[in-house]
Amino acid sequence: MSEDATTGWFDARIVTGAHPAALVPKSDPAAIAVHLDTYGMSGALVSSMASWLHDPVGGNAEASAVAHGLADRGVLACWTAVPPTPGELHSLDALVMQAVTEGVAAFRLYPRSHGYSPVDHAMDELYAALATNGLPLCVDVTEIDWHHLDHLATHFPTLPIILSNLGYRQLRSLWAAVRDHENLYVDLVDFAGHQAIEWLAARGLADRLLFATGLGLRDPGESIVRLAWSGLDDDTVAQIGAGTADRLFGIRRTAMADQLGGRP
Amino acid sequence: MIGRRPQRRVVDVHAHLGPYSLFYIAEPDAAAMVGVMDRTGTEVTVVAANRAIQQDAHLGNSQALAAVDAHPGRIAAYAVINPWQDPVRELERLTHDDRFVGIKVHPTLHRYPVTGSRYAAVWAFAEETGCPVLSHSEHQSAYDAPALFEAVAAKYPRASVILGHAGITAAGVDESIAAAVRHESLWLEVCGSQMTGPLIMEMIERVGSQRVLFGSDFPFIDQRMSLGRVVCAPLTDGQREDVLSGNARRLFRWRPLPGDSGVSDD
Repeated sequence: MSEDATTGWFDARIVTGAHPAALVPKSDPAAIAVHLDTYGMSGALVSSMASWLHDPVGGNAEASAVAHGLADRGVLACWTAVPPTPGELHSLDALVMQAVTEGVAAFRLYPRSHGYSPVDHAMDELYAALATNGLPLCVDVTEIDWHHLDHLATHFPTLPIILSNLGYRQLRSLWAAVRDHENLYVDLVDFAGHQAIEWLAARGLADRLLFATGLGLRDPGESIVRLAWSGLDDDTVAQIGAGTADRLFGIRRTAMADQLGGRP
Repeated sequence: MIGRRPQRRVVDVHAHLGPYSLFYIAEPDAAAMVGVMDRTGTEVTVVAANRAIQQDAHLGNSQALAAVDAHPGRIAAYAVINPWQDPVRELERLTHDDRFVGIKVHPTLHRYPVTGSRYAAVWAFAEETGCPVLSHSEHQSAYDAPALFEAVAAKYPRASVILGHAGITAAGVDESIAAAVRHESLWLEVCGSQMTGPLIMEMIERVGSQRVLFGSDFPFIDQRMSLGRVVCAPLTDGQREDVLSGNARRLFRWRPLPGDSGVSDD
């Protein structure tokens, strides 16, 4: 085993901003920088707590501000969308175009928290625009029903969908989903089932896994030690640590590097 | 950089064994658990079989003993006492089989409060022998909310009781800390889906590092989840060693854990 296999990981989920109901490590820009430095990470995907718990669309500016401030450390923004609603959001297509212009790397939905159906036809505009522009869709399993997820993955087969917060009780449902849909991915935020990573990898699905800590929501030590001390070989650890993220966010990472003159 | 090799020795005082009906567990057998332990630096794990807590204490306890026999020096066993399934018989079995090193109770699953008379024999046994008792504890549970253990501790002050999950939620951790501050016989164990490094730090700051124990709940939850919170928390080396192994070695004295090097009370 090589110690190098645990450097250069991309943290595919950080949520910046205060958490109102948990005692978790901080996730302000300074804390994110320390987090990336401490564990030798190559970058991160950052969304905002405000988008989840206060102002879904308005909170996106906070994610972008963090991404811009930490661009030299490989930090990218993840925006949140809601259905087009008069007075709140005029056009999902326009929101995605704005996001592309600003270098956003993915979108995240909170259907249950934000009170709408993810399979309402009005949302199709979002999914189509994301697929066209190569932006993955992120969603917690606590925010969406499995049959709705199946509907989305079926109707938008070129849209990468990243599931998060699997916990330890979902392997039966997860298996059916990843078996049926090649566009489903799982991040390591609270992917807590005993040997679940090794179980998926042994079935040829390591390329559907991507490293993420959930800093801001959870203790990042969970995912870090989970992957570093896993039963996987170094190449597979590196693939989950950074390779899958390169495939999913690589265009944005490369664009940012170009803007920064080769970094990160 | 975390590296791929653990740097510390670990004793895991909260683990299970075997399948569970509510959800699928990949590789829940003892051999796979020992494989994980080899990767995490875990010397010994104390298990309570899932069959024992979920359905049949006697049969499940036999499964735990089989795991001890199959993995000498690596697996130790709790005797699960179900207050509805002849607790006296299982206490007798525990008394005469030194492969058991402690008692496990799960009041929430067995729907019976820790203060109920059917558990009295457990607390009396623990007080008399020094056998540690690991109990599930859950904030706001009618059966095992952390505050309920204060009554047990007041009546049986020499019975060492481990509050498994330390109440589970952040508010439950607060309640567990308050109980442990008032009663030296209560110990706090750190596994649970809502646990974080900052919560563990609060336990250590308010109770002291010598009554906080590492546990993981594996194979329900992967052992590395709980371990990561302790490994990455901003603890001193001494505090981390206390939590990861030293305290377990000090607590399990009735029947010392495998590999015990003779840690003294001093």
